[in-house]
Amino acid sequence: MELYELNLSDAIQGLKDKKFSASELFASCKARIDKLEPEIHAFITRTDSTPPAETSGLLAGIPTVLKDNLCTKGLRTTAASKILGEWRPPYDATAWAKLKEAGAVLMGKVNMDEFAMGNTCGNSAFGPTRNPNDLSRVPGGSSGGSAAAVSAGYVPFSLGSDTGGSIRQPASFCGVYGLKPTYGMVSRYGLISYGSSLDQIGPFARTVKDLQLVMSVISGHDPMDSSSFRDKDHDFTHREDVSVKGKRVALVKEFQSFTLDAPIAEAMAKTRKVLEEEGAEIVEVSLPVVARYAVACYYALAMSEAHTNLERYDGVRLGYTVKDAAGIKEMFERVRSYGFGPEVKSRIIAGTCLTEPTRCEEYYVAATKVRTLIAQEFTRAFGECDFILQPASPSMPWKIGENDEDELKGYEADLYTLPVNLAGLPGLSFFAGYAGNLPVGLQLIGPRWSDPALLDTGVILERHLGSPKIANGGK
Amino acid sequence: MKLTSEQVNDIALESRLLLTEQELAGATRYINNFLDMLDRFKELDLKDVEPFSFAEAIACPLRDDKVIAFADTEAILHESAHVDGSYFKVPRIMEGE
Repeated sequence: MELYELNLSDAIQGLKDKKFSASELFASCKARIDKLEPEIHAFITRTDSTPPAETSGLLAGIPTVLKDNLCTKGLRTTAASKILGEWRPPYDATAWAKLKEAGAVLMGKVNMDEFAMGNTCGNSAFGPTRNPNDLSRVPGGSSGGSAAAVSAGYVPFSLGSDTGGSIRQPASFCGVYGLKPTYGMVSRYGLISYGSSLDQIGPFARTVKDLQLVMSVISGHDPMDSSSFRDKDHDFTHREDVSVKGKRVALVKEFQSFTLDAPIAEAMAKTRKVLEEEGAEIVEVSLPVVARYAVACYYALAMSEAHTNLERYDGVRLGYTVKDAAGIKEMFERVRSYGFGPEVKSRIIAGTCLTEPTRCEEYYVAATKVRTLIAQEFTRAFGECDFILQPASPSMPWKIGENDEDELKGYEADLYTLPVNLAGLPGLSFFAGYAGNLPVGLQLIGPRWSDPALLDTGVILERHLGSPKIANGGK
Repeated sequence: MKLTSEQVNDIALESRLLLTEQELAGATRYINNFLDMLDRFKELDLKDVEPFSFAEAIACPLRDDKVIAFADTEAILHESAHVDGSYFKVPRIMEGE
């Protein structure tokens, strides 16, 4: 077995037992990246040219990568956009600072859809990332680089961000585990904002136990992020003696008539059977507002928040700029028109449109009220069940370039993930088997702050459904 | 109500975006399709519904109001191409004179 094949917890144990050194682990991961990266293209910036200095802590010597919307002090951070140019942030994102403090070693910054807007990892100024399980297919997005890097064995774990499914959908497309934590569980300080009331940082790994390890490091209150909650201590300790006996796992009534790709429908049936055999009760909950209005509500809010968050990119303080503008308006227009890609421009214009005084009440304010109904609907549902089981995506990973024509059709595919962000819930994307060489992933959702219980259930599912293999470019 | 390409162009200019003809055609189609999707909201009675907020926010006070100097202002200024001393410099704001 090569060292790059080790899961996070095994790599930690191996280093502790001195079976190999951190330099050897680093070299193995680097060789793996050198071999596959020309085809997968997960990186925007590599930082693995020299072996790291010795580190200490829970993650001492463990290689990782970060989605390129997480600020890294003195290291280029692009959000996959031309507009950030060669920007080097003057500070670290808190989540990265905590990993660094725990001894993790950064191998680089990885690809994403520009400003996290997309579900293919193809809307990047640096070109698309390919799915390590089948190079002709998308890895999902927006955290496609983070998912692909873990799937391909570049690193045992990574961080991404999830505004409407951007951890859970690529995790399912690439065959890894991904957690979108409860909103407020992980500090957003240093995460380049897209939709601030929806954004959340979370981990990818090849086992559930490894997600628990990473969450034990990155979760917790941060004075620099007022949306990270105080007085919330969570225990992410891994336990084998966990059970779902007597738990109620719900299927959503309104989703039952929606079309799923056959492997996903089969995985749903298989997972349901596993849970029943383990003693869980399968029940049904009704989410009619979610089913009909969540997609419209989400995009109305995400675009409105995005248009204000992206106002700051004007060429004055950082990133791409022009030096010969006659006036400030010309400067802003030239910088923004060149710097933003087409999807980002469309969303900025839509957000501007929805928040104009003449339309604000009809669209933006209405969306904030629909969001209340959606959150209330989930609260009611979790009075009748402990978890909700559903797909992470209705589709298997599609071919690169497919589905690029109709943006709104692509948005509808996010129905299974984005309501979770609207209500601030945690969602676990878990591996449920293979269909040919493609992995199939599903999603388990819980009430706010149920992240540890969600991961405990993930441990049981992994035991029965198996762990994913490292992907080899479809070979 | 459908937006014309002129209206969409005006909104783009408010956002400080200059669109090519092709981009404008795409943005007009995109926004009109999107507004059609949002018309679903009209099916709901939202009169007595409060806008969303995270309920726990009540127990989440702001951080202590202490001034903490940022240690490395030089690193911030270093990232701009428009610096004069310790200030950012911008082109003239009043135009047409």
